[in-house]
Amino acid sequence: MDAAVKLGLLRTMLLIRRLEAAWGDAYAREEIDGIPPALSTGQEAVAAGACAALEPGDFVFTTHRGQAPQVARGLDPKRIMAELYCRRTGYNKGKSYHVTDVSRGVIGMGGIVAGQVPVAGGMALAQKLRATDRVSVAFFGDGAANEGAVHESANLAAMWTLPLILLCENNGYCISQPVAAAVKAASIAARAAGYGLPGAVVDGNDPLAVRDAVAAAVARARAGGGATLLEARTVRLGGHLAHDPQHYRSREEIAAAWEECPIKRFGARLRAEGLLTADAYARMEVAVDDEVAAAVEFARQSPFPEPHEAFEDLWA
Amino acid sequence: MSVFDRRLFRAGGPVSPAEREWPSFRGAINEALREEMRRDPSVFQMGEDIAGAPPFGVTTGLAAEFGTERVRDTPCSEVAVVGAAVGAAIGGMRPVVEFQFGDFLSVAIDQLTHQAAMLRYLTGGQLKVPIVIRLPCGGGQRAGAQHSQALYSWFAHAPGIKVALPATSMDAKGLMKSAIRDDNPVLFFEHKALYRTRWPVPAEFKDADHVIPFGRAVVRRAGSDVTVVATLVMLHHALAAAEALAAEGVSVEVIDPRTLVPLDAETIVASVRRTGRLLVVDEAYLACGIQGEVVALVTERAFGALRAAPRRLGNPGVPVPFAPPLEDALLPDRERIISAIREMLAR
Repeated sequence: MDAAVKLGLLRTMLLIRRLEAAWGDAYAREEIDGIPPALSTGQEAVAAGACAALEPGDFVFTTHRGQAPQVARGLDPKRIMAELYCRRTGYNKGKSYHVTDVSRGVIGMGGIVAGQVPVAGGMALAQKLRATDRVSVAFFGDGAANEGAVHESANLAAMWTLPLILLCENNGYCISQPVAAAVKAASIAARAAGYGLPGAVVDGNDPLAVRDAVAAAVARARAGGGATLLEARTVRLGGHLAHDPQHYRSREEIAAAWEECPIKRFGARLRAEGLLTADAYARMEVAVDDEVAAAVEFARQSPFPEPHEAFEDLWA
Repeated sequence: MSVFDRRLFRAGGPVSPAEREWPSFRGAINEALREEMRRDPSVFQMGEDIAGAPPFGVTTGLAAEFGTERVRDTPCSEVAVVGAAVGAAIGGMRPVVEFQFGDFLSVAIDQLTHQAAMLRYLTGGQLKVPIVIRLPCGGGQRAGAQHSQALYSWFAHAPGIKVALPATSMDAKGLMKSAIRDDNPVLFFEHKALYRTRWPVPAEFKDADHVIPFGRAVVRRAGSDVTVVATLVMLHHALAAAEALAAEGVSVEVIDPRTLVPLDAETIVASVRRTGRLLVVDEAYLACGIQGEVVALVTERAFGALRAAPRRLGNPGVPVPFAPPLEDALLPDRERIISAIREMLAR
């Protein structure tokens, strides 16, 4: 594989990590308030890998933890951060925490757990009815996997051969509840058989493994072969939200999880393959940090929406 | 006269040769769906049995003309189907969804109120969600508590959803065409008791370009003593009551709002300014119902014009019972409307 692709994946993951960290820091120092940030620390490889398998015209539907796919699909970090700072220059003009850019195929959802999954199925239906070869990806968590909306959508996608990738991002926890306390079966992907869909578990901390699995599902969908259920096993390194001290996890468990950090792992792999030097990584970090700092500055300098804008954008 | 007298609407009774030429309510909806699907290839339909065995006959013949890709039978999956409509709408289609009974929308309420209705606002106006959900509704059919409700108050309460309540064949067709062309989510409530009724229509009924805009009430009967606002079947009970009271010298104005969201408050308020009395009749549950909403807006805007306390008739807050004597005891009808008007005038 092309070295640039691999380095690009690493940079995407690093940008997700640092941009979200800046958001979390802004919350911690009370520069922004409201519902605390939902960070995807440790889960960056899922979105980076999945979005690397997509093309323009494809759509992703995010969870509440949605910044990773936004960054991975190339949204402007400045306008992402502006939205998270509730500014009118944000993608959603300060109307939502769930950043959306229709032009880049990112629909921010996730205020209601699993609510995005049936809608992603509908986009796939439109893509099929309009005779395109475009696909839709529904991100959802292990917690959402237990919602009826996912079950109904999987069955409908199977029956209608929809170009849909059901991408379960299993980070091991539904807030404080370990997945083993909510899912009896050995995997969520195994449910695919019950729908008559192909399904697979993939290492969600390896961006190349995710990319390859999603690319195979995308190729099948583009060729008219229908939907796929993928379960990307990853780890949530931080709390459910930025203020969550995770008293329900042991220090040992969290320390072990950090050993699985996808950025650390993938960086080491690229160094072992001779694709990345310490200097090059340091330069990448500086460039990413500059981009993040510029995003924060843009957000800070941006105006809040005017009060009258509360009454706009309801009706088409 | 019973709460729902089939003869009032001639649904099962003898039909004169002239009336046989009038379009039925369900046929009018069918015609609107057909014309819009011919006009716009992005219009398609989803619902249980709509292609194979249309439950109330509204979609009869459409699958034969347009195929089962555009007239899609769905599994029994209300959440996924409403979600499919929302996503397809974002993706440039104009889905029309049929629920076999409107009560079942409760199963998919999140997809409607949080997703369909809010996505445009939440994204700062980046997208639009042009969907229509068709909801057979209402009592009088001995269909039981979970197949007989008039739930539009739930959804008129939620921001971002338009609500249409057609009461005649012309309105059923014209409002459906507006609903399909609207870029917002629309709930289209179809009273089951109206499906087989036939109504005389103006010449423009046959005009495929004729639509009836939302937000324009119509004065079905002019009068000077009391304003009655009523929808769906209750509109016809109100008109029958007005006819009966006319023999006693009581002049009743009857207004059909036709859409609840948007609501034509001006026509209602202007009428009450003249009559000084307001009665709102609907099958909806009274608590936090549309009857109270109409009373509130009239009271706010025309308090000084009121010569009597406004009245509401509706379901007092009881599940619609199965047994006919119980169901008949519950819902407003012509006699109850007459009694309420007499009481208002006596004060």
